[in-house]
Amino acid sequence: MSALLNFIVVDDSKLDCFIAEKIIKNTGRSESVNTFQQATDALVYIKTLAPTTTPSIVFVDIQMPVMNGFEFVEAFEALPENIRQGYSIYMLSSSINENDIAKVKGYQSVKQFLNKPLTNNAITVVLNQHS
Amino acid sequence: MLYIDDEQNNLVSFKASFRFDYNVFIANNTEEAVSILRQNPDISVILSDQKMPDKTGVEFFEEIRQEFPNPVRILITGYADIESVISAINRGHVFRYIKKPWSEEDIRSSIDQAHKFYITTALLAIKNDELQKAYNELDKFAYSATHDMRGPILSVLGIIDLSKNTEDVGEIKSMLDMMENAMMKLDNYIQNLHDYYSIRRGEVEIEDIHFPDLAKEVCDIYEVTSKMNNVRFTNTVTQTEGFRSDDVSLKIILNNLLSNAFKYQQKGKDECFVELTIEVLKGAAVITVKDNGIGIPENSINQIFNMFYRATNEEVGSGFGLYNVKDALGKLSGKIEVASKHGEGTTFTVTIPSK
Repeated sequence: MSALLNFIVVDDSKLDCFIAEKIIKNTGRSESVNTFQQATDALVYIKTLAPTTTPSIVFVDIQMPVMNGFEFVEAFEALPENIRQGYSIYMLSSSINENDIAKVKGYQSVKQFLNKPLTNNAITVVLNQHS
Repeated sequence: MLYIDDEQNNLVSFKASFRFDYNVFIANNTEEAVSILRQNPDISVILSDQKMPDKTGVEFFEEIRQEFPNPVRILITGYADIESVISAINRGHVFRYIKKPWSEEDIRSSIDQAHKFYITTALLAIKNDELQKAYNELDKFAYSATHDMRGPILSVLGIIDLSKNTEDVGEIKSMLDMMENAMMKLDNYIQNLHDYYSIRRGEVEIEDIHFPDLAKEVCDIYEVTSKMNNVRFTNTVTQTEGFRSDDVSLKIILNNLLSNAFKYQQKGKDECFVELTIEVLKGAAVITVKDNGIGIPENSINQIFNMFYRATNEEVGSGFGLYNVKDALGKLSGKIEVASKHGEGTTFTVTIPSK
């Protein structure tokens, strides 16, 4: 049995949050799943979370109002090292814009770009990196 | 136009000859010329003598090229060898070359042509700006279209994938509701897109507008929303004079403002309201849409009319609505003002002149 993980989903679409949560729970690997429709809320959550030894996987959408996915990652990367450790960020988008995909590669803390929708197959690939 | 010559007599006779036909500025040295150019940005033609004590006409033209790229330059000179002609053209970007002593006719035809050239260049610059803007919008549009149109489709595909492993009928039903929502969002986006193109491409059709009828047509939809969401909706229409405008554009404006007013209400608040007033007075229609909803954060208020800008994700929106409103108002020569306080409500005031 692989280790349990914490999951954070950031997507302005309620529906996509729901899908992600379901898919994640179906894997049986989740210790917790927290979904946020506002990137700013997710950031506050990460900042105030008590330290834990459980690694966290973050799925973040790119195009969102107020704070978009890139801004979220930039704000995340500005956090102190002791908060950032243990997080793996995956950017998730319906974007087929090559600039977006290229931009994702520029962020150190982003593991990978994933196409929407998050499916059973896609999440299995992600989880295999964390087994 | 501006004429520079170190000989006062030339300046005086030049001004005397042309002051009835053109707005003539004169300067007897280059420093004065620069200060005149700075004060009069709409000077379109500059004539300069070549031989002046502090510098040559070509040097002067070369020097001011950076700061004043637009005026068309004409060089006047007493003697012309091929070298000086070449340098005038290459270094001074001279449009015409006039030999002294000049004839009035020469000057006149040169100035007229120079002015024509200036106007053409200016128009071209404006057109280029417009084209650039259109390109930028197209880029933004293509980018956002992939997101806003693919988004709901991908959501539905995600749910379908999920539902394949779901046995519980109740859960499947709630998934169907979600799919319905996603499709409604897509449909809403496509309708907005249609609005966008009917404003953009469609010709404005000016006709007599009877606001009570128009308001009724638009408001009927919102009466239902009002009852369903328990938001008090009042509309007051006062029209005692004729008004001419474009029916389609007016409906787009009203629809978007009302739909926003109903959409961005504060959840769980008592006494929610939306007020529409339309008053036609002295050849102008003033439309106000007032609500006591969530309001607009102060730092977003300047951006709300931008294409695809969204100030909140409290509700489903395309970022298209207010952009379309502004676009439609542009066609009707109308204007829009917004007063809003975050957490207290928003009032949009639209003023449209009768055509």
